[in-house]
Amino acid sequence: MAVLGEITLKTRRARSRPDLLLILGVAALSALGLLMIYTVTAPRNEAGGLDPAGDMVRQAFFMATGVVVFSVGSFISDRRWKALSPYAYLATVLLLLVVLTPLGTLRSGAQRWIPLGPIDLQPSEFAKPAMILVLAALLSATEGARVGWARIGQAVALMAVPSALIFVQPDLGTMLTFGFITLVMLFVAGAGVRQIALLLVGALIAVAIAFQMDILKEYQLDRLTGFLNSGEAELTLNYNQTQSQIAIASGGLFGRGLSQGTQTNGAFVPAQRTDFIFTAVAEQLGFAGSALVLALFALVVWRLLMTAAAARDRFGYLLGVGTAAMVVFHVFVNVGMTQRLMPVTGLPLPFMSYGGSFYLAMALGLGMVHSVWLRRSPVPGERFLL
Amino acid sequence: MNRAWRLVAVGAVFASLFTVLVLRLWYLQVSTLASALEVAEQQQIRVVAIEAPRGDIYDRTGTVLLAGTVASRRLVIDRKLVPEEREEALINHLAALLGMPASDIRSRFDEAGEGARFPLGEEISESVAVFVLEHIEDFPGIVVEPVPVRVYPQGETAAHVLGYIGAPADEDLERPGITVRDRVGRFGIEKEYDGLLRGTSGRITYRVNAGGQVLGIIDEVVPRAGGTAITNIDFALQEFVERALYDGISLSRRDGKEPVRAAAVVLDPRDGSVLALASVPAFDPSLFSTGRISDEEWARLQETAALNNFAIQGLYPPASAFKVVPYTLALEEEIYPTIEQEQYADRLDPNDPTSFYADGDLKFPNTPLLRDWKVHGLVNIHSSLQVSSDNYYWGIALEVWNRAGLDWSENLLQNWARSMGFGMATGIDLPFEQAGIVPDREWFQYHQINKTGLVRLDGAWSGGDLMNMAIGQGAMVCTPLQLANAYAALVNGGTLWRPRVVAELRDSADRTIFTNVPSVVSLVDIQPETVASLRADLHGVVASDKGTAYAAFRDFGESLSQVGGKTGTAQIRLPYDELVIDQAAVPSWREAELIANLAVLLGESVVEIRAQFEAAGDGATFTLAAQVTEATADFVEERPEDFPGVTVQSIPEVDTAWFVGVAPLDNPQYVVAVVIEEGGSGGKIAAPTARAILQYLMGEEVQAIRGGEDTD
Repeated sequence: MAVLGEITLKTRRARSRPDLLLILGVAALSALGLLMIYTVTAPRNEAGGLDPAGDMVRQAFFMATGVVVFSVGSFISDRRWKALSPYAYLATVLLLLVVLTPLGTLRSGAQRWIPLGPIDLQPSEFAKPAMILVLAALLSATEGARVGWARIGQAVALMAVPSALIFVQPDLGTMLTFGFITLVMLFVAGAGVRQIALLLVGALIAVAIAFQMDILKEYQLDRLTGFLNSGEAELTLNYNQTQSQIAIASGGLFGRGLSQGTQTNGAFVPAQRTDFIFTAVAEQLGFAGSALVLALFALVVWRLLMTAAAARDRFGYLLGVGTAAMVVFHVFVNVGMTQRLMPVTGLPLPFMSYGGSFYLAMALGLGMVHSVWLRRSPVPGERFLL
Repeated sequence: MNRAWRLVAVGAVFASLFTVLVLRLWYLQVSTLASALEVAEQQQIRVVAIEAPRGDIYDRTGTVLLAGTVASRRLVIDRKLVPEEREEALINHLAALLGMPASDIRSRFDEAGEGARFPLGEEISESVAVFVLEHIEDFPGIVVEPVPVRVYPQGETAAHVLGYIGAPADEDLERPGITVRDRVGRFGIEKEYDGLLRGTSGRITYRVNAGGQVLGIIDEVVPRAGGTAITNIDFALQEFVERALYDGISLSRRDGKEPVRAAAVVLDPRDGSVLALASVPAFDPSLFSTGRISDEEWARLQETAALNNFAIQGLYPPASAFKVVPYTLALEEEIYPTIEQEQYADRLDPNDPTSFYADGDLKFPNTPLLRDWKVHGLVNIHSSLQVSSDNYYWGIALEVWNRAGLDWSENLLQNWARSMGFGMATGIDLPFEQAGIVPDREWFQYHQINKTGLVRLDGAWSGGDLMNMAIGQGAMVCTPLQLANAYAALVNGGTLWRPRVVAELRDSADRTIFTNVPSVVSLVDIQPETVASLRADLHGVVASDKGTAYAAFRDFGESLSQVGGKTGTAQIRLPYDELVIDQAAVPSWREAELIANLAVLLGESVVEIRAQFEAAGDGATFTLAAQVTEATADFVEERPEDFPGVTVQSIPEVDTAWFVGVAPLDNPQYVVAVVIEEGGSGGKIAAPTARAILQYLMGEEVQAIRGGEDTD
């Protein structure tokens, strides 16, 4: 009895211990992000007679809110999250519809924001964790080793509704994120390699048909091709990437030092505090600094995958992998874009890019996964895997 | 296990993605560092060209400013510095400030593109600039940039000499250092001396940020100002000449003519200096400085071709004013007319080989009978010029023609004309000068074979053509400047100068950087006696009571003894008659009869005549599309009962009036050529105009321009 009691105590402590590595990794990235936002925005704010730290303070406020969201997310049990998934999904779709009404605002040719007093809410960001949540709930209902075509159809249908709404905004980056997350989650849920391949082919054919049959209206096509590096947009997009590449390359091995980068100080890189924040790291801190950032992201992804491996059920397992996929996809597309490996799609860098909605959405996603971590089982037999 | 390998696979894929990013990072940051630094360095440099101040243009005294440069300012928009959300407000502010529609400004923004830097419009007033600078927070991204603006303080005076500046033409862009953003001389002195006037632009190399904000100056090259041009133009004279030309045009209008324009040249025959060069109507060169020329102004300038300098670009038959050339030829070569003189042998002066009886017409084979404008009776080489006898100069041409190939070349007259500068550009320092035409057999054949429309298509070059040329008609054309320059060469003893508008250019330290030295085009071998004779006979034109400009120069003043000149009346169109039909006056039952009568009379088909009636419409008055002979006109007028409603309308001739004056005759200092296009008779219209200019030059009291005698 005594022995049993000891074991119970031990497991309780192990269960409730937070994932310090994950939290440390995210905290380090966020702190670095704040620093970079300051170096990027301070010269311009100063020139404009504004508070040099204005942007940084705003972002710090978002981060503080993010901490609360993460904690609340961790506090809610994974079972409760699973139960909440249909409501989260419906709320997301509703918000995405609201964006397209006159309540949403149009900016830079895209309608993505709902103005809420001092801040603008970007529902498509919150759609990402919501999507992962609902897919995890759906796919965990399958208990066999394989996923049937019916289940795949349901998953695709669930993904299609918000995708269509986002497509109209338009926000190609988020659509691609949905696609990537869905594919990865289907794969780990047990879908066959052939099924995955067929899905990919189907997606390509659907896109081709959409182009062929003029289902896309003229202006939609313009918006879409705008993202695909053609027409008038090409110049600006190319300009962004050229400047970005120069900034990265100027960094060298150890960088030019904080606030010493001419590309950053001279504001040569457009959207540097948001989509191109990585260039600030690369120029000022060099290869060493940027590699560190990538390493921190790898740490976060590793912790998310470890959570998946340690999850007590299929839902937690899928939630962990889906969130990891979301982080990886953003990091790869964003950093790849600054390096001219990927086209400009407007996906921000997690935890570092300036912006509230995305940071909070990320905090929410990580909070849910952390909830799974806190409720994992130390006993191998009680885990979904192993 | 099945589940585990899938997680491991995903992990491996994720790891490989991270590996790709790190490898790419290494490649960009470590392998290609040097070239990237260079690119980064270059784009942080902005080179700003500083336009050199364009040189001023002065009159001959160096005190009257004809063209200068003032500093103005314009608004430049740097869109990189305009926050996107403030753009709409900025456009509204600008629209209110500049009084432009916001949509116009919006389209300028769209044209320029995102992140562009572009000027908004041209000049702005100082008050607007001050307002912008004081409220700069309402105008983000707006820069007030200084720009030089070319001004012409004398308005239209000497406009064609000065020219104007504008956007560079294709050929200007081939010159070194000229870009599409520059403004270059497009006409007049501004074009001819553009290279010297514009100076050398400087440049400042700045270190800038992406917003274009200057962080520091790296290098500075000071611009070198353009040279100041001193012209030979006597500004007061130029003003006077232009006024006189307008007065001449008014005189011609009062005479019932419809003059189109007028031009004048005043040369110094001693060295080819151009004292005045005018073409009216003119234009205001400032219109082009700002590039803001309204459509109405442009249409007006196009309608009168006011942008052309007719003093050097207008080609006119010199008419009788050309007679000084065969006159000189006759005296130098001792060729005098003998044609049709047998019947008048008893009337001729046996002691004067130049004696000739001008009976008013001359018949040449295969040519219509030539009629002089007047029967002059007994003349000789001297009086023939004074009274402007066509007969006499036809006679000289026939002598040349009949003995060509034996004693001299067929082109004797042409060679004399060319030696005095006809048929080739004078080389004046102004662009777009015309060369004129001196017709000869070769020229005639070329144009006949190529059917250029300049010559008739049947028959060869003939003595009749040469006779026509001798009186400055036919295909013979020249510019007013050419004619003035030829007279200058004749009265100065045979030196053909290259006319010069600009005397010299000086730099800002008053050092001469360019001198337009007098240069001789050719020396014509003329006896001093011939020159003296010509001067005397030119005087006879204005002073002898038979002279064609006698009436115009009456009451000239005391210095009349020092003045000479020659009239010219170039036939642009001969008079003719035409039939006007008032259909309202034709009883409808007689229309068919009338049409039949007209068909018989004009030798045309009934169908064609009827078509003209129908084209005019019922009851309309219209002109029958055919010139009719005098005999036909008389026939119609004598039989009103056969031609009801038909009247004869006489269309008067159209002539271009010339006068070339010389003064003072003892030592000529001025040659004045005046042409009034389609202005009428030279003696009646051009001579009084030139008389006023000569009075001004000779210090006489200038009298109002009034009509002279209707002469050739």
